[in-house]
Amino acid sequence: MRRGDVLKGAFLVLLALLLVLVVTGVDWPDGDMDAISNDDVSRAMLGDEWTSGYSLVVFMIGLLLLVAILGGVFLAKEERE
Amino acid sequence: MIPIEYWLVFSSLLFVVGAYGVLTRRNAIVVLMCIEIMLNAANVNLVMFSSYHSALHISVDPSGQAFALFSIAIAAAEVAVGLAIILSVYRRYQTVDVDKINILRW
Repeated sequence: MRRGDVLKGAFLVLLALLLVLVVTGVDWPDGDMDAISNDDVSRAMLGDEWTSGYSLVVFMIGLLLLVAILGGVFLAKEERE
Repeated sequence: MIPIEYWLVFSSLLFVVGAYGVLTRRNAIVVLMCIEIMLNAANVNLVMFSSYHSALHISVDPSGQAFALFSIAIAAAEVAVGLAIILSVYRRYQTVDVDKINILRW
């Protein structure tokens, strides 16, 4: 292991300690975190109609994924001699 | 029910583990995997705070969970392009060591 890696590890341990101290130092109010059901998420994602919810965003992200996969295939394609 | 502090500590540690991998590892594929770990820490936070917000307020707002799903889709797109770039670099230079790939360095 290089000396720089040890320094980076020590810095990240300090960061982790800081984050844990900050999180545990806050007095979080109690709440039932099981309030959201799968139906609620589905309704938010797709909505009841085409234009409601995040339907359009789902469509755009699907398009982005398609373009990214096509780009990946194009980049990974072997070049002909 | 798991308290919110546990989730926050979990996501913080997940983020730190990912950051350690990004900063110390030389293999580009491992670096990409560590970036995904960091992204998943953010996803855990999104889902957790969405649930917590709904728990504290009367109204149910699952937007955070929807955003986490979008984030996962974006991560998939990133991995597709990233792996293709790594494959292309390996074919050209016969290595995926990030210290040796310095063609974009000024």
